[in-house]
Amino acid sequence: MIRRRQALTAWLFLTPAVLFFVLLFFLPIGNQLMTGLYDADGVFAGLSNFSRAFRDPEVLHSFLITLAYAAGTLVVGTAVGLGLAVILNQSLRGRTLFRSVLLIPYLTSVSIIGLLWRNILDPQVGILNRLLEAVGLPGQTWLSTHPLATIVGITVWSGAGYTMVLFLAGLQGIPGLYYEAARIDGAGPWRRFFAITLPLLAPTTVFVSIIGLIGTLQQFALPYIVTGGGPGNATSLYAHRLFIVAFNDNDFGYASALSLLLLIVVLILSLVQLRIGDRADA
Amino acid sequence: MPSYNRRSFLRLGLGVTVLGAVGAGCAPAKPASKKEDSRTFTIYWNAGHGYQAYKQVIDQFGKDHDLQMNWQKFQWPDLTTKLTADFRSGNVPDLVEEVSAGTGTQYGLAGNVLALDEFAAADKEFGFPGDFLDQAVVARQYEGKTYSIPLHLTANGLLFYNKQLLSAAGSDQPPSTWDEFLEVAKATTKDKVSGCALNSDPSYAAPYYNQQKVDFSGAGAKQFMLPADGALKTLQWMQDLIYTHKVSPAPVATTDYSGPQKLFSAKRAAMFVSGPWDIGPIRQGSPDIELGLAVPLTGAVQSAAMAGSGLMIPAKAKDPKLSWELITKLAAVKTELAATKEAGMSMPRKSWAADPAVAADPNLATIAKALAVVAKQDVALSASGKAAQVNELWKKAYQQMIIQHAPVGPALDDFRKQAGAAL
Repeated sequence: MIRRRQALTAWLFLTPAVLFFVLLFFLPIGNQLMTGLYDADGVFAGLSNFSRAFRDPEVLHSFLITLAYAAGTLVVGTAVGLGLAVILNQSLRGRTLFRSVLLIPYLTSVSIIGLLWRNILDPQVGILNRLLEAVGLPGQTWLSTHPLATIVGITVWSGAGYTMVLFLAGLQGIPGLYYEAARIDGAGPWRRFFAITLPLLAPTTVFVSIIGLIGTLQQFALPYIVTGGGPGNATSLYAHRLFIVAFNDNDFGYASALSLLLLIVVLILSLVQLRIGDRADA
Repeated sequence: MPSYNRRSFLRLGLGVTVLGAVGAGCAPAKPASKKEDSRTFTIYWNAGHGYQAYKQVIDQFGKDHDLQMNWQKFQWPDLTTKLTADFRSGNVPDLVEEVSAGTGTQYGLAGNVLALDEFAAADKEFGFPGDFLDQAVVARQYEGKTYSIPLHLTANGLLFYNKQLLSAAGSDQPPSTWDEFLEVAKATTKDKVSGCALNSDPSYAAPYYNQQKVDFSGAGAKQFMLPADGALKTLQWMQDLIYTHKVSPAPVATTDYSGPQKLFSAKRAAMFVSGPWDIGPIRQGSPDIELGLAVPLTGAVQSAAMAGSGLMIPAKAKDPKLSWELITKLAAVKTELAATKEAGMSMPRKSWAADPAVAADPNLATIAKALAVVAKQDVALSASGKAAQVNELWKKAYQQMIIQHAPVGPALDDFRKQAGAAL
């Protein structure tokens, strides 16, 4: 009787969460799967939308540049976030202020960030070229010459504060005793960083990379606002391509198939990262 | 007597919350909101066209019919995205501004917007199509049905020039041919000023290729950008303006089409090719610029591209008759004249063109000359339902040639191949 009561209580507590996930996640995913089985004219097409994705040069291009974007953002973003965390973990004057300031871009809407950088980087009327001209340097045209790298840079800039906060939490969890012992053994700062800090931050690094990977593979807003996916299709990331297929080409079946394929890729890559993290922990 | 403890209350409260949430989730949403919805009239509009002249009409319409007017303004790409999603969900606005002629046809053939011929036939006073210029009407018709009513009629291909900069470079007259254009652009390119400015938006290439007698599409035969030699000559010439003659900066890829206008307003470009929609921002933003407006250039021929929005009624609009009534007020000659006075916009009515205020305005006279040389549109492309897809392919090719300096011939060939396949 008590067991039944306990089970009932447990179910009552679980029901809102179960309903939330069923109504807002699993049902839409199921609906998307169904939509993915139909072509643009609403005719049942089986799995052809899924197989079409592997033959579509635009989709393959967008997938490859998304991987490049994700890799660039993860590597640079993690390095910058970790570097900032290590610096601001020292007892510096005004470090709380610096930490807060660095977190502001993360708290700012992506639309504002996109518009801000688009205006800053505009070669003709942007403020960056005015500053470069003022100090006698040639103007930049990065949005035209290195559009993907520019989007990576903006992403890193906007996310560095958040990554820094995560690494700061990880750093503060490392007992000072280890550093003390290493110092007594004659280890220098670099040695201490590579032998103590980096290995003990492995769980944080795995977390940062998984969250970062999921976010970057789904990135849509930044290239949409800054470059519109251009020039040409140079910044038409996978989610942007998916958007074009759905809302420009009006092919919701194919777009649904593409989004499900993205879900599978994200799941696989996240599992791989978790495995790597487990091994590192072991 | 049952005993109640804290856990019992917690359980009870949770149970009620869950039941409430399930009940709310399962309850039909319509009846509760129907009353409010029926008094709200929703309009989707382009953000650049939110003129006072239209606001007054819309506000008055709301008062006359005791309606809450929900006038939503978007950039064109966002309006298109929202409308596409609305058509799928069935929750549509009551009236929509159409991005360009042919878009309504595309939606209409898919059953998403209404053919408006019956409304127009029953409303002789409105004067459609008799009082509207033919090119604006024909481009919105397919197989005898009209899917939108012209709101604006403009031409992309007008030459905007800074009189002071041209005069300082020794040119008292604006260029009228491609050779003269290049000559003046070279003469006015100095320090931080470019002789001209090209647009990253591919639709702004239309006047140039029309001037070489190039048709963007022949959808019936799945042909694009032909004749090929004219297309090659046009895009190569445009590319050379940037990379060979260095009289135009390479445009930046964005979703915004106002780059050249901003450069012009900042006195960093002496000339650019556009339409009447850029007159207002220049006059308001840089009143010290002596703005000159000239007729379209002559390449092999003198030509411009037709532009201008329309009005369409979604098939699932709550009360299409009410929507039609608002169309007749927004596209009335009185409103047209007020919008022209306010923003310099040109309009599709013959009675508008005949008005003394319009006939006496030199800028409007220039626009009228441009309208007389607009190239014919391929209605079959809109009817194919693939116009947006083909335009996206053209955007990619155009930006590769103009911004990324890709070789023109192969880029055009790729576009033709991909556009043909899309159809």
